[in-house]
Amino acid sequence: MSFLEVTAQLANGFLTTLLIFGITLVCSLPLGLLITFGSMSKIPPIKWLVKTFVWIIRGTPLMLQIIIVFYGPGLIFGWDSLPRLAAVLVAFVINYSCYFSEIYRGGIESIPKGQYEAGQVLGMTKKQIFFKIVLFQVIKRIVPPMGNEIITLVKDTSLARVIMVVELVQAAQQIVAQKAIIWPMFYIGAFYLLFSGLLTILLNRVEKKLNYYHS
Amino acid sequence: MAFLEVNGIQKSFGKNEVLKNVGFSMEKGEVLAIIGSSGSGKTTLLRCLNFLERADSGSFSVDGEELFNAEKTYTDKEKREKRLRFGLVFQQFNLFPQYTVLKNVSLARELLETDGKKLAKDEKRRIFKEIEDNSRQLLATVGLAEKAGDYPCNLSGGQQQRVAIARALALSPDILCFDEPTSALDPELTGEVLRVIRELKSTDRTMIVVTHEMNFARGVADKVIFMANGVIEEEGTPDEVFGNPKSPRTKAFLEKSLENI
Repeated sequence: MSFLEVTAQLANGFLTTLLIFGITLVCSLPLGLLITFGSMSKIPPIKWLVKTFVWIIRGTPLMLQIIIVFYGPGLIFGWDSLPRLAAVLVAFVINYSCYFSEIYRGGIESIPKGQYEAGQVLGMTKKQIFFKIVLFQVIKRIVPPMGNEIITLVKDTSLARVIMVVELVQAAQQIVAQKAIIWPMFYIGAFYLLFSGLLTILLNRVEKKLNYYHS
Repeated sequence: MAFLEVNGIQKSFGKNEVLKNVGFSMEKGEVLAIIGSSGSGKTTLLRCLNFLERADSGSFSVDGEELFNAEKTYTDKEKREKRLRFGLVFQQFNLFPQYTVLKNVSLARELLETDGKKLAKDEKRRIFKEIEDNSRQLLATVGLAEKAGDYPCNLSGGQQQRVAIARALALSPDILCFDEPTSALDPELTGEVLRVIRELKSTDRTMIVVTHEMNFARGVADKVIFMANGVIEEEGTPDEVFGNPKSPRTKAFLEKSLENI
């Protein structure tokens, strides 16, 4: 099998990797904020329900969660399972929303009380205070930890192969198994490195852009 | 009836009674200085007036209109409308770091007059222009016209506090409150802030200033309140309170304060 053929086949798997990455990111960013509001809720039942949920999701391996989302509904309720990729996406979105929500919470709690009070005495509504004053400052503060989590997501996508979704690692494994060559397995490292390198550059740019002020 | 009437304000944090039946009044255009040692309840009193704390009992009114009565409950919307009668300048400035100086001053009014309202583009532009002009004017009043485009982090503490004063003025409060406006500043920067407050007095602005600057209180205030342990221990004109204090507590406090100078 030639280098180009291997590359083409791996690129196919890499597309799935990118898809899992992209959809997880796009869905988890807003969903995470919703979970944050839940875990910071002033209504105790909501707060504790959400906190327990976050504890369970953060306290168990993502690999296990993927398996549960895929096989669970069939075993427990006798339902048809979700398509494999859909099951992976559901597990990833839930998992990453919970991690993001904790980063958001940390960011929100780090904003001094005085910022809220300044908005309050100026007659702003709670919504205005959050969206016009607090949110931007939170974003600036959480870019570094979010960057960390986003880079981790790039590599976590490889867990999808546990239910036979052909992402990058699985694509390499298939070649290794079928053609009895090992080097494609090492080669995929370059894909991950290149992609996370690009993301690092992008995140640095965002960080720099937000650095026009310091507080 | 006086312009500001405060009656029987009582406030506890847990078991700690911070304000015990505090009442006073002041007239329009007056400057009231509140002095007293830390923990005497001065700041809490100011925060009650600005709806940042809810008094457990008592009431206050401005210009004959009852703004707060502990026996009533108020919706967020009512509270927002009522608190605009007061402005508050914080000890720590609390400027919005991500906005320019100009935007810090104009933001609240922009939101108040346009957010959530359906306005024609022209109308909106006209309102924004008017608010911008007004904000620039306010910045000129505090001597910072040329800093309009800067960010707060590039300003000195004294300049930041002057921006905060302009910001509080933007909503034209009836009574402007200052919570130890110079306590977070280096001594050489307090002068410029006190000068601005003095200038505001000359335009007959009604102000309540919680302060540790005794000379300033004496020189600028029309009326001085000395607070100790959550009660008004003594009140009167600066000459009465500083020149001839009746309460031994006031005497002791003033002697100590002057020692430090």
